[in-house]
Amino acid sequence: MRRLVILLILYVVMGGIFVLGGADAGAPTLMLFGFLILGAYSVGELVKPFGIPKIVGYLVAGVLFGPPGLSYVSKPVLAELNPVSNLAIALIAFLAGAELQMEEIKARGAAILKMMSVELVLSFVSVSAVMLVLREQLPFLASAPLPEAVAFSMLFAAVAVVHSPAVTMALLSETGASGPVARYTLGVVLVMDVAVVLIFSLVLAAARSMVPPAGDSTGVQLGAVVWEIGGSVIVGAVLGVGIAAYLRFISRELFIFGLLVALLGAEVARILHVETLLTLLVAGFVAENAGGGRGAELRHALERAAAPIFVVFFALSGAKIDPRTVLPLWMIVIPLVLVRMGGIWAGMQLGGRWARLDPLIPQRAWLGLVSQAGVAIGLATVVADVYPIRGGQLRDLLLATIAINETIGPILFRLGLKRAGELDVTQPSGGAERSAV
Amino acid sequence: MTTPLILILVAALAFLATHVAYEWLAKRLLIVSGAEYLVLGVLLGPQVTGVLTPSAIEAFQPIVILGIGWMGITSAMPLRLQRLVRVSATHYRLAVVEALTTLGLVTLGAMSALHVAFEVDYATALAPALCLGAVAVASTPTGLDVAYGDQRRRAPVLQQIEVANVMDAFVSVFAFGIMIALMHVSAPVTMRALTTTEWVVITLGIGVVGGTLFHLFLGDEQSPDRLFISLGGAVILTAGAAAYLNLSPSLAAFVMGVILVNSLRHPGAVADVLRSGERPLYYVLLLIAGASWAPASNVVWWLVIIHYVVLRTLAKLWGTGIVTWINGATSQVGLDWGRALIGQGRLTIALALDYSRRGLPYGEVIFTCAAVSVLFTEFFAARFVRSAAAPLLAPLETLSATTESVVDTVTETVTQVIPGFLRPESGSDAGAGARSGSKASTSRRDNKDTSRRGGH
Repeated sequence: MRRLVILLILYVVMGGIFVLGGADAGAPTLMLFGFLILGAYSVGELVKPFGIPKIVGYLVAGVLFGPPGLSYVSKPVLAELNPVSNLAIALIAFLAGAELQMEEIKARGAAILKMMSVELVLSFVSVSAVMLVLREQLPFLASAPLPEAVAFSMLFAAVAVVHSPAVTMALLSETGASGPVARYTLGVVLVMDVAVVLIFSLVLAAARSMVPPAGDSTGVQLGAVVWEIGGSVIVGAVLGVGIAAYLRFISRELFIFGLLVALLGAEVARILHVETLLTLLVAGFVAENAGGGRGAELRHALERAAAPIFVVFFALSGAKIDPRTVLPLWMIVIPLVLVRMGGIWAGMQLGGRWARLDPLIPQRAWLGLVSQAGVAIGLATVVADVYPIRGGQLRDLLLATIAINETIGPILFRLGLKRAGELDVTQPSGGAERSAV
Repeated sequence: MTTPLILILVAALAFLATHVAYEWLAKRLLIVSGAEYLVLGVLLGPQVTGVLTPSAIEAFQPIVILGIGWMGITSAMPLRLQRLVRVSATHYRLAVVEALTTLGLVTLGAMSALHVAFEVDYATALAPALCLGAVAVASTPTGLDVAYGDQRRRAPVLQQIEVANVMDAFVSVFAFGIMIALMHVSAPVTMRALTTTEWVVITLGIGVVGGTLFHLFLGDEQSPDRLFISLGGAVILTAGAAAYLNLSPSLAAFVMGVILVNSLRHPGAVADVLRSGERPLYYVLLLIAGASWAPASNVVWWLVIIHYVVLRTLAKLWGTGIVTWINGATSQVGLDWGRALIGQGRLTIALALDYSRRGLPYGEVIFTCAAVSVLFTEFFAARFVRSAAAPLLAPLETLSATTESVVDTVTETVTQVIPGFLRPESGSDAGAGARSGSKASTSRRDNKDTSRRGGH
C-alpha cells in the first residue's frame, strides 16, 4: 500500500512539475533519472510479494513510464541516459568476473564448457530451423530465395542464443543464491558471452557473403574479431592487475575507485575497439584472484555503487520495449520463444549428462538461461545497421522475442533457484538487498 | 586520448593523490586540501589546455546539479531539532546576527561596487549583489572538523563556531534560493506568470515532497544499501526538479535535508551515506568550476573581487566581535571567533557555480569572487579555527589536566587503601586491577585518544 502511495505521489508530482516547467524549463534528464530510481524501485517492491523478481518490476516500470506508457521518459531522454546503461553494463561485467574464483573454474570449468557448447548448438540449430519453417509468415522473408532465408535465419539464431549476464547477476544479488545451480548458470552465461562474440561475427560474415548488403564492399575481417576477443583479454588483464595492486597496497575508498574503474574500463574498451563486457569480465576475474583476498570488499563496494544504476538500467531496458511491436508478431514470436526454450532445455540436459553432473542441476539451471537483455539488443541493432531494410524488420522480431524473454526470464530463473532450494530464505526482508536488484 | 578518458584518469589520479594526502596534510599541517582541484580544473579547461571543451563541460551539467543539491542537503544535516534545543540561545543570536551582518554588508558593498565598476543603477545591481552577499555568508565547517574533530565540542567557543557554520549555511542557502526565485524568468504557466513568492513556495514544496517521499520510502531503514538507493534517488529527483524549473537545487535539497533529519528516528545512517558522497562530488564541482571559469583581465573586475574579499573578512572579523561585545558574551566565546568563519568551501562553490551556470548578470564576477575566496581561505580554514579557539581553550585544557591529576591521586590513594578497588576490565588479565592508579589513568587517556582518533 505504501508503495502505491509513493507511486501516486510521484505521478502527481511529476505531472505538476511538467506543467510548471513550460517552454523555458531546463533539461529534465537528472530529474527523470531520480524519478526512475524511485519509481522503478517502488514497482520492484510492489511485485516482490507476488514472488516476482524485482527486475521484472523495474522492467514494467520502464514500460509504464517510457514512450509506450505515460511517456515521462521520452526517447530523447532515453538517449541522454545511455551512459547510465553503459556504466551499468561495465559494472555488471566487472561484478560477474569478480564472482569467478580460480578454484571454481578448475572444479566446474569443464562441465560448464560442455553444457554451454551443447546448449549453443541445439539452440542455434532449432531456432534457425523454425525461422526457416515460418519464413512464409514473415513479410521480409516470404519471397526471399532460400540462401537469403538461411542467412537471415542464422542471423536471428545468432542473436537468439545470447543470454543475459545482467539479469543473472542482478537476480543472484537479489536472492543471495550461491548454490551449484546458481554457480553453473552464471558460468554458462559468462562463457556464452565470450563465445557469442565469435559466433555472431562468423555468422555475420557468412550472411554477408550469401547476401551482400547494399553498398557493402568489405567483409568481416578475421583480424578484427581476433583482436576484439584477444584484445579484451589483454586489456582486461592489464586493468585487473592494476586493480589488484591497488587492492593490495592502498585498498581505500573502494566505492569511488570501483566506479572509476568501470568508467575507465568502458572508455578504454571503446577506444581500443575491444569488447566492453569481456574486458571488464577479465578485469574483475584478475582483480578477484590476484587482489590478496580483498576482492570481496571491492565487490561489495561496487554492488552498492551499482545499486541505483542497475535499477535505472532495467527501467531503461523496459522503456525500450514497445508492446505495440510485440503484439502483432505474437503468432511468430511465441513459437520462436518456445523453441528457444526447448533448445536450451535439451542442450543443458545433454550437456549435463556429458559432464556427468547430478541430473537435478541441468534440470533447474536451464531456467536461468532464458533471459535476454542488453547484449542481445545491441546485436539486433548491429543487424539492422548492416541490412537497413530487412535487418530492421528482423530487429523488430528480435526485440519482440527479447521483450518476452526479458520478462519471463527472471521469473523462470527464480523458479529454478527456488526448486533447487538455493534461495537465501534465511535473510531478513530486504537483507538480500546487496545491490538493490 | 579522448576527453572522457583524460577526465577519468585525471580525476582518478587527483582523487587518490589528494585523498591519500588529505588526511596527512590535515593532521600534520592543519591544511584543508581540496581547492587545488579548482586550479586543476582551470588547467584542464578551455582557458589553458583545452582538454575539457565547453561541450564536455556542458555534458557534466547533471552531475554539477547533483553536486549542488548534495551540498545543500549535507548543510542541513546538523539542523536536528532535538540537538538544536540543547544549545544556548546566545549562540544562535550571535550566529544569526553575524550571518545577517555579513549578508547586509557584502550586499551593500557589492551593490555599490557593481554600480561604480559597471555603471549600472542600484536596482539592476541589487539582485546580483544579494546573491554575492548570500555566497559570502557561507563558511566551511571543514576547518572545525580538521582542527578539533569531535574533541571538546562542548567548549563554548567551539559550539559557537559550529552553530555559526550551520546558521551561515541556513541564511546563505535561503537568501540565495529566494534571489534565484526573484530572478526567475516568469513565463506564463497556464493562466498567468507565477510570482516570486509562488516560486519560493514551489522550491520549498519540492524539498518537502522530496523529504516526504524519502520518509515514506524507507522510514527508519538502517541498511546502508537501501538507504543509498532511496536517498540517491530522492536527492537526484529533488535537485533535478528544482533545476528543471530553473529554481535553486541547493534550497530544495536543504529543505529536504531538514525534513529528513527531523523526521527520522536515527538520522545518523542517512548522514553517513550523505557524507560518503560529499567529498567526491565536491571535487567534481571544483574541477568543473575551475574548467568553466573565465576570469577577465579587466582591472574593474578585480576591484570588485578585492572589495568582496575585504568586506567579507571585515564582516566576519569585526561583525562577530561587535555582536559578541554587545551581547556580553565575550567571556564565553571571546571576540575573535569570527576568524574561524573566514574559510569558505563547498557550499560557496556550489552556490556560485549555480549562479554562473544560469547565465545571469555578472555571473562570472560572482563566481570569480567565490573561487578566489575559496582558493585563498579553504587551505587555512583549520588554522583560522585554531587561532580563534586556542586562546580560549588553553585555560580549559589546564583545568582538565588539573582535574585529571586530582582524580588520579584520589584513585591511587583509594587503591592503596582498598586493594582490588579497580576491577579488571573484561578481556584483560586479572592482574590488571592491581596496577597503580597512574597506569590506570594512562590507560583511560589512551582509550580516550583512540576513540577520538576513530571518531576523527
